[in-house]
Amino acid sequence: MTEAIRLIGDGFASGEFFLPELVGAGDIMAVAQGILESRLKRDDLRRLALGTVVIGTVFGDIHTIGKSMVATLLCAEGFTVHDIGISVRSSSFVEAIREHHADILAMSALLTTTAPEMKRVLAELERTGLRTGVKVMVGGGAITQAFANAIGADGYAPDAPQAARLARALVGR
Amino acid sequence: MNKGFIRRFKPLEIVTESQLEQVHQATLDVLMQTGVSILHERALQLMKDNDCLVDFDSQRVRIPPHVVEECLRRSPSSFRVKARDPKHDLLIGGDRVYFRNFAGMDTVDLGTWEPRPPTREEYYNLVTVLDALPNLHAISCYPYFGFQGLPEVMKLSEGEAAKARNTGKVQIICYSKGSEQFSIRIVKAVGGEAFGISHPASPLAYYPDAIDAIYNFTEAGFPMHVGSGVIMGATGPASIMGSTVSNNAEIMALIVIIQLVCPGTRVIVNDFVHAQNMRTGSPAFGDISSALHVAAFHQIWRWYGIPSCSSLTGVSSSKRIDFQLAYEKTIPSLVAALAGSNIVDLHSSVNGELTAHPVQAVLDDDLAAMIGRFLDGVEVSDDALALDLINEVGPVPGHFLGKEHTRRWWRKEQYMPRAADRLGYPEWLKGGKLSALDYARTRVDEILATHSSAPLTAEQDREIERILEEERLYFKARDLWA
Repeated sequence: MTEAIRLIGDGFASGEFFLPELVGAGDIMAVAQGILESRLKRDDLRRLALGTVVIGTVFGDIHTIGKSMVATLLCAEGFTVHDIGISVRSSSFVEAIREHHADILAMSALLTTTAPEMKRVLAELERTGLRTGVKVMVGGGAITQAFANAIGADGYAPDAPQAARLARALVGR
Repeated sequence: MNKGFIRRFKPLEIVTESQLEQVHQATLDVLMQTGVSILHERALQLMKDNDCLVDFDSQRVRIPPHVVEECLRRSPSSFRVKARDPKHDLLIGGDRVYFRNFAGMDTVDLGTWEPRPPTREEYYNLVTVLDALPNLHAISCYPYFGFQGLPEVMKLSEGEAAKARNTGKVQIICYSKGSEQFSIRIVKAVGGEAFGISHPASPLAYYPDAIDAIYNFTEAGFPMHVGSGVIMGATGPASIMGSTVSNNAEIMALIVIIQLVCPGTRVIVNDFVHAQNMRTGSPAFGDISSALHVAAFHQIWRWYGIPSCSSLTGVSSSKRIDFQLAYEKTIPSLVAALAGSNIVDLHSSVNGELTAHPVQAVLDDDLAAMIGRFLDGVEVSDDALALDLINEVGPVPGHFLGKEHTRRWWRKEQYMPRAADRLGYPEWLKGGKLSALDYARTRVDEILATHSSAPLTAEQDREIERILEEERLYFKARDLWA
């Protein structure tokens, strides 16, 4: 399955495939991943992955497409990805990081008015003592490198392919 | 009143009468079967009280056809909007067509021609240029990202303040975190009205801010400007008519809320449905599919008898003032004007929605005038057919140049652009090889040296400052000062 999604990802990078193929493949991957993981859990096995990512759009923001594109490419890259959706409260990010033992938290915001929510999530990670164990990457229409630096994120990417490369770099792969 | 232009011939029709009915039925079906998601308790209760089927847990509303159709009927087919300067009042509806500016999170440095956030002075200057252009009849919510040094929350109102001060034309007010309450007061302080915006988050969802804006704007008695930003293939179906249905459903749900909150509110519907660049995920502004959508959109809303406008016409993917920019703006603008759009957004945009360029605004003003001239059509009369004159002049060596008829008619039939090169080649060489761009740049400088809009009184100006100060305190008290 990883091989198949990587083929789609490479095809997208080379211009053979377009976003509809990429996101369609990502949707299939997400469904399959759910089934496989419950089986792996049942048989007490673990999937070999580059790392585990929790991804979501911050609270107050219901934009989903950019975030889903990043989730798909992270899957294609070989990460286990838990997409926890849109308008995610900081407490839900924290819960998901705990539950999935995430290596990376990826947050998205399209609106300048919702971008400050990322700062709240980071504060919540500090408060709960999770910050040192998780790398934080941010992106979306409202986000810039300067903003990422200002809030103390570990990385920023302006588009989905660069987000995938960033995630690799963050886990040292 | 600002007369704008009148389309004096039958509008463009891209779908048949029976297809219009088909689209209408499909739209009603979406509203009843799929419904919309409205993240606003007060509006949900209002809709429930008016025959809509509301699930408060999921915040999903299904709107029956009779409610939709009643609310469409409540929206007037034509109306006046009062400007700060009465000569810029708008009469919206029918075959009248106005032009408006679009885009502007950045401006262009006129020294380097690179985009960057404007200084306060550049922002005010840009508004002055827009005020001076004779074929730009109203001001959009752009340029709306304020100027350097402002916190995010103050960008909208500081922009409204600049527009209230430097133009007498009707503007549009955007909303964010309640800032529209202050923008409304700024517009009222200078004695005008503005369109208030509300829009969904496609597909079929509505933020609390958008619904709060409806309550705020209708309470102020302002007309509403409602539209969606459906992206074909991403937030709506990839098929043009599929996205037409989805987009219209989103707009109709807004009209339902508006007409339930305040029956009879003046509404104009806006088109911003665009294609997606399937390689990058960014908008494919200027794609021909958008022009086809524009044609269908305005035909359908003319059929509903509700005025319409088009922001999509003002955007091109090109980063420069070049051939691509010209065709990507001209085709949809002309199509919109022919299809029945009452306001066509055009002036000043470069690089999609991102950059407002004063030189481009001057160039666009000529394009607006040419489209306006086209809308005026052709006259078929004895004087125009000129039978007696043709007979009088006869074959060669006769000619028409010295005739009184020629002196009267050529000015009426032609439009002489203010910023275009129409010289013969030798004169062009002698004149320093100037292009339209050079002429437009010179005109920007001339406007800034000579133009001023109808001035505010000192008290009006102080009142604007008082309102802005109140808004600063409002956001600081709410921990939103960022």
